[in-house]
Amino acid sequence: MNIYKICSFLSTYFLIMVSAFAQQKYTINGTISELNSNESLIGVEVIVPELGTGVTTNEYGFYSITLPKGDYTLIVNYLGFSTVKTLVNLEKDTKLDFQLEEQAEVLEEVVVLENIEKTNISTPQMSVSNLAVKTIKKIPVVLGESDVLKAIVLLPGVSNAGEGSSGFNVRGGSADQNLILLDEATIFNSSHLFGFFSVFNPDAIKDIKLFKGGIPSRYGGRVSSVLEIFQKEGNSKEFKVNGGIGIVASRILLEGPIKEDKAAFLIGGRSSYAHLFLPLFDIDNKAYFYDLNTKLNFKLNDNNNIFLSGYFGRDVFSISDSFVNTYGNSVGNFRWNHLFSNKLFSNLSLIYSDYYYGLKLDFVGFKWNSGIQNFNVKYDLKHYVKNNLQINYGVNNIYYQFNPGKIVPSSADSGIIEEQLIQKYANEFAAYIDVEHDISKKLSLEYGIRFSTFNRLGQSELNVYANNNPVDFDEDLLIYKKADPISIQTPGRKSSLTTFNNLEPRIAMAYRINNDNSIKASYTRLAQYLHLISNTSSPTPLDVWTPSGPFIKPQLLDQYALGYFKNIKNTDYSLETEVYYKQIKNRIDYIDGANLIANNAIEQVILNGEARAYGWELLFRKNEGKFQGWLSYTLSKSEQRTPGRIASPTNGISPLETGINNSLWYNTPYDKTHDISLFGSYDFNEKWNFNANFVFQTGQPTNYPIGQFEFQGLTIPYYGDRNSERLPNYNRLDVSATLNPTKNKNRKIQGEWVFSIYNLYNRKNAASINFSRNNDTGVNEAVRTSIFGIVPAVTYNFKF
Amino acid sequence: MMKKIIYFLLIALTLSSCEDVVYVELPSDQQRLIVDGLIRVNNGESNTTVTIKTNLTNSFFEEIEPLTVTNIQLSNESGTLIANLAESSKGIYTANISTSLLKEDTVLLTIIYNNEIYEARSSFNASVPIDNLVQGEGTLFNEDETEIIITYTDDPDIDNYYLFDFDFNEYLVSEDTFYKGEQFEFSYFYDTELQSGQSLQISILGVDDIFYNYMNQIIVQSGGNQGPFQTPAGTVRGNIVNTSSIDNYALGFFTISESYTQTITID
Repeated sequence: MNIYKICSFLSTYFLIMVSAFAQQKYTINGTISELNSNESLIGVEVIVPELGTGVTTNEYGFYSITLPKGDYTLIVNYLGFSTVKTLVNLEKDTKLDFQLEEQAEVLEEVVVLENIEKTNISTPQMSVSNLAVKTIKKIPVVLGESDVLKAIVLLPGVSNAGEGSSGFNVRGGSADQNLILLDEATIFNSSHLFGFFSVFNPDAIKDIKLFKGGIPSRYGGRVSSVLEIFQKEGNSKEFKVNGGIGIVASRILLEGPIKEDKAAFLIGGRSSYAHLFLPLFDIDNKAYFYDLNTKLNFKLNDNNNIFLSGYFGRDVFSISDSFVNTYGNSVGNFRWNHLFSNKLFSNLSLIYSDYYYGLKLDFVGFKWNSGIQNFNVKYDLKHYVKNNLQINYGVNNIYYQFNPGKIVPSSADSGIIEEQLIQKYANEFAAYIDVEHDISKKLSLEYGIRFSTFNRLGQSELNVYANNNPVDFDEDLLIYKKADPISIQTPGRKSSLTTFNNLEPRIAMAYRINNDNSIKASYTRLAQYLHLISNTSSPTPLDVWTPSGPFIKPQLLDQYALGYFKNIKNTDYSLETEVYYKQIKNRIDYIDGANLIANNAIEQVILNGEARAYGWELLFRKNEGKFQGWLSYTLSKSEQRTPGRIASPTNGISPLETGINNSLWYNTPYDKTHDISLFGSYDFNEKWNFNANFVFQTGQPTNYPIGQFEFQGLTIPYYGDRNSERLPNYNRLDVSATLNPTKNKNRKIQGEWVFSIYNLYNRKNAASINFSRNNDTGVNEAVRTSIFGIVPAVTYNFKF
Repeated sequence: MMKKIIYFLLIALTLSSCEDVVYVELPSDQQRLIVDGLIRVNNGESNTTVTIKTNLTNSFFEEIEPLTVTNIQLSNESGTLIANLAESSKGIYTANISTSLLKEDTVLLTIIYNNEIYEARSSFNASVPIDNLVQGEGTLFNEDETEIIITYTDDPDIDNYYLFDFDFNEYLVSEDTFYKGEQFEFSYFYDTELQSGQSLQISILGVDDIFYNYMNQIIVQSGGNQGPFQTPAGTVRGNIVNTSSIDNYALGFFTISESYTQTITID
């Protein structure tokens, strides 16, 4: 199906939907924002109890609802904010903006809202984790730096490789299968300092949403999850400062009006102190990170808003100037919200983002840099057709440029010759339509389809292999090895090497059994065209991204999920439980001994395999009161396999090739059978707040040697099937206490102390166990590396 | 060379961590033949002493024992015998042969052990001389390190792969991708402060891409700490084929390398 057909299909469909209503109906629309800052609020419920219906605000705080003429009560409800009730006599189209006020820390009374729709159980959206920034800031973390990624790994279905590892894993997927969006721009590396911190400054963040499944068709490009993060817009009422001073990093955020109620700015900076992780004596060395968040917003008029936002972050390591390593993301974007009518909301985004990795090694005489750049144009429309029907549609085009590496001599007398590894180029286009449709009071559907097309563009040189096969199998030694190219093509930038087209249907439904119980189900198909070339258990900053093309196929996911959702005692408690099953085709795997660094022909060490994962997740939350928190449990399995390429018809296993790991399914490094997190927060009084979290995880899959051999004086352990053993189970307890001094009350500067202890019982959790000969004693040893023992920390936060 | 970068990242990370020796229960494998057959051909010498060691693999916490095999011989592809190796001490087989025989043609190694025949082939890989070898003053990660700066000139006509033997069982591999035909210099850092007056024998060996890849892997797998950046570890297979029973494979490698060696005395 070509693009033209898709577009005409979409527009016809859209016209039918629009003409389907013609009653005497009027529309209420507006934006909902926070009272003191004008910061727009995402996901606020606007409920019409008379009709048992409602809507939620979108990413820009906009809502629109169309109702028959009549008198209604509008209830505006948002967790952590006071509920607003308004009577509306609807006899014409009405614009109603709301401003909500944040509730005091301790809830005195709970507004009981009966017989109204509760979004969490009635919308078809499932497999989503929402975390309030306020909650994230309460979670005790190592060294006292509150962190988005550290918080989401406490939720069911999300884990990471432990301390000192970048990224996170969702439902048994790898870190590069997560689409991480900061103000709609793709972030390629989410971690600073090998995962000790995430790149997101919690002060600058407004809203976080993680889609683990049931991913709506407006998202695409990664198969495991979407982590969508919106930065604050900036306070357009008054100038505010907040910040914090911690033992490893400090941060400050300034925001204020450019023109009151019309335009605002936000600028935030964060930096760790130098010498952070390299407590070397007498050697000049540095290890630190910094990042900068900026945002400007302009309300041009009722129908037009403009946002400019940017992010820039870098990690820097250096040792005596002879080893210097710098890497990080930068992002810039321009967005324009335009209201075509009170029912049709649009957003145009122009986004640039890149990831840069640079290295200087003076003692070998070279500098190295690599990275990825992309230019993204997005146009999204949200059409609030009527109170039970919303249609979202849009297009998206991303142009990518990949630099796998460039080496240059670091000084004039270096023997290194400047060389650019072959740069790669690609273009990804997608069009989608997504329909949110309440069929009846009991049944709601969200269905849609995404068409994506990926065009791998030409490059300076392309290897050609015999039988189009870049990997040979040695039948004597039973190993895979690289094939030598038979010739080299020079396709040139203007040509197209390969095109992939995929239709990605998505469907989700919710069936409401009664006011407090519902069942949800979803099916998601997703295509991922970019691959992070990494065969370590968690990504390293050095890993490069590579596009699908002549030798690497796009990953294709099918995911099925089924869930049961329950509210207990109104919404005081909630219970969510889901089961999922997913399959991924074309998951790349690396042959034994593959060298991925500075490899100009990565296809020679890669085979296309498959992956699957399944599991059961449970989340029990207490949402209200002095004591809040949750218990999350995940039981899951995540595996992959790469059979020989010439499959036999009977058992799928090639008689000619062993495949990787003898064609057997093996555990991915992210397979954690049991994963339990318990988080609790207790408001003791106005001064003190106490928090604790406990984590237990089945040990990470790894290899233990099945034997050893010697060669030229080296003792070499050797290993059997991949990931057949496990590290010891991981567990840890962290606690923290927040002190709000009472003298704050009448002061302009509000201060707050956070005392935390990470890993309270000082468990030495193994990050790895390594096997080698101790050169001093000549004895073979198993050495456990554990990153953090008990770590106390104190942070001072302030705002004025 | 780039492979080293990952270790620099790692060292940065593991300095903040703690390490301790633990006991773990290990899975086991059958015992296998190990062939240590790196033949170093010293440049300019007309005769070469060929030494091949045979051992038996063992569980990681046990000792590796030398192994006496039935027979070891070298021949050329046409079947002409070059030499039968004699066992000089247990598991160590030697023969003194004319260097030209190793340079001329592909050499076939045949080992008979336990009534099974193991074979491997190699042809001569040329190397280049060390232009200069000096001790440097620099250090990288700790004050105790000793820096050695090595300079050599790459052969511009072919793709070269080198194995450096820095003594004390320390090795490094390098390919000439980024310095083809150039005079190239780099620093190697020993972890410890070497004693003044101590002499080091440093060699540069020419190897082929398969052995380069093999050494690259075993240097990593013998070196221990990969921290959280663990790569899936497997069995590093060399080029020894058991022609009698393919699954009963041997470990190790047979290769013929030209070697240039220089000695440096620590100041």
